[in-house]
Amino acid sequence: MKLLIVEDDREAASYLKRALSEAGHAVDYAAAGRDGLMLAAAEPYDVIILDRMLPEIDGLAILRTIRASGVKTPVLLLTALGGIDDRVEGLEAGADDYLVKPFAFAELQARVNALARRPPTQDLRVELVVADLKLDLLKRTVTRAGRRIELQPREFQILEYLLRHAGRVVTRTMLLESVWDFHFDPKTNIVETHMSRLRGKVDRGHGRELIHTVRGAGYVLREPD
Amino acid sequence: MFGATGLRVAALYTTLFALSVVALGIVTLFSIRQALSEQFDARIRSESAALVQEYRSEGVHGVIDAIREHDSTPGALDFGLQGPDGRPLAGRLGAARTAAGWSLQHDGPRSGEAIRMFSVALPNGYKLMVGDEEERVEALDGAVVRGFGVALAGVVILGVAGGYALSRDVHRRLAAISGTAEAIIDGDLARRVPVRGSDDDLDRLALTFNRMLDRIAGLMESLRQVSSDVAHDLRTPLTRLRQRLEAGLADPRDRGAALEGALSDLDSILDTFAALLRIAQIESGARRAAFRPCDLAALALTVTEAFAPSAEDNHQSLGLIAEGPVWVDGDAELLTQMLVNLVENALRHAGPRARITVTAVRLGRAPVLSVKDDGPGVPEADRERLFDRFYRLERSRSTPGSGLGLALVAAVAKLHGAEVALLSAEPGLEARVSFPEAA
Repeated sequence: MKLLIVEDDREAASYLKRALSEAGHAVDYAAAGRDGLMLAAAEPYDVIILDRMLPEIDGLAILRTIRASGVKTPVLLLTALGGIDDRVEGLEAGADDYLVKPFAFAELQARVNALARRPPTQDLRVELVVADLKLDLLKRTVTRAGRRIELQPREFQILEYLLRHAGRVVTRTMLLESVWDFHFDPKTNIVETHMSRLRGKVDRGHGRELIHTVRGAGYVLREPD
Repeated sequence: MFGATGLRVAALYTTLFALSVVALGIVTLFSIRQALSEQFDARIRSESAALVQEYRSEGVHGVIDAIREHDSTPGALDFGLQGPDGRPLAGRLGAARTAAGWSLQHDGPRSGEAIRMFSVALPNGYKLMVGDEEERVEALDGAVVRGFGVALAGVVILGVAGGYALSRDVHRRLAAISGTAEAIIDGDLARRVPVRGSDDDLDRLALTFNRMLDRIAGLMESLRQVSSDVAHDLRTPLTRLRQRLEAGLADPRDRGAALEGALSDLDSILDTFAALLRIAQIESGARRAAFRPCDLAALALTVTEAFAPSAEDNHQSLGLIAEGPVWVDGDAELLTQMLVNLVENALRHAGPRARITVTAVRLGRAPVLSVKDDGPGVPEADRERLFDRFYRLERSRSTPGSGLGLALVAAVAKLHGAEVALLSAEPGLEARVSFPEAA
């Protein structure tokens, strides 16, 4: 993937650049808002990682400018710790996702992957299928190898999210935000407890597991090898 | 020297008063003059009318006798009578040359003084003249002008003296305020402006000023408290972090575990920071602009659903009593976080097999959100302090948690104008958030 990082902290940016390059991405880097703006408008990127606070031109201003000039590249906005309004402002300015600094690299990687291969905004599929697991969005039913699985509403939402991101890592925070709309970090392991129940229903009794834990990152639902 | 403001005001008022005294004097003078002239004219008219009557009844000799009698009375008017040929027959004004009606003569009979004169033609060509000295009116002018002159002097003296006293008083009181401000600038934060108790403008200003100072002192105190709390409460995890990193450096075999431990220590430090910043942002009140109607019942359902499996794993039960919808005007995200903190507190501290109940109802018209457990509860003496940042009960010191959960609850409640209280649920604890009545 071709990525652009716009970040004024050179040390943080070079760490990110190295880590993302090692993960197999082609990474460009701009330290100042002006350079970032020029690159974002000129080059076709898969994802732009944009720091909210930049010298000269502010991150939000860059975002508004590139959106106004018709650039539709997904943007992951990096916001400051504790800024409650930053998320809303960022999303309103045209960001596709946001991440609060400081973050785990695994979290950033998962979100970049989720953004880059985001299905078209209007996903019209009515059935999500991985291996012998089927989720019917209209009937709200789930079957595994033809056998009906009864899920609680939240478990259904989690499974739907995992299926939509099949093959990609989904983090705890991504689930908290999309399933519960919790934009803060509860101290209780609610994701883990829901996940273990979901896995019990989906994978138990089937030889091949579909949902896997990715240590230090989150979960992934994928076809068995 | 005292304040220029007071002096300027005093000077302005004195000038205004002096000008009004002068204006009043001028108006009075003209009114008196007018009234006197009219009075003198009336007297002249009535005297001449009397003589015309005398002529009709007694003839010309009667008039001549009357005039002679008047002439010998001191303070009487001046008279004159001329024959048909213009010869003076009697009186001091007998020689005057004048047409009928009012006129002003400048050759008075005594020393050529001004005479205001009325002449009337009698039958058979006789002519009667009655007049009075103009000076009598003018003499009164002098008295009026002198009177007002004294009044003017009085006004100026009173104005200057009063202005001086007044501006010295105002200056003293303003100086007390600015002196207090100076003292505070120099670091004496306990200083307050003296208040007289006279309930005038300056007193009210002093009271407002003092209230502002109290508020600032309160903020300073809580800031001081927070920084000392931060310093104290972060020292422990930072020390642990440092030890872990040192251990990892010293023993390569432990490196992986040490780094992992260090990362988790760091995450908990960052959590504390995030919570502190969030509380500070909430307390600044800026979020109130984003208030929207929120259904507490729906919010409580989401939260209880989310935490029910965790409660089950702890062998606890988490139930919900809600009569929905329960609308409040607020920030859904913050209200959710508030309820999550309360539920997590109950899960963590109520102990195994506890029954936890979340309630979202309306009591009368006031929405109430409550989280109740049947755990060990909290001694009354400790309940209020639980809302302070970093305050933790001795028995919870060993459990995870930043000690900021209830501080955030208190901040969110305050932002929404709600009262939050910890009550004894006998047994157990109830955290109850009472929102203001719906409008």
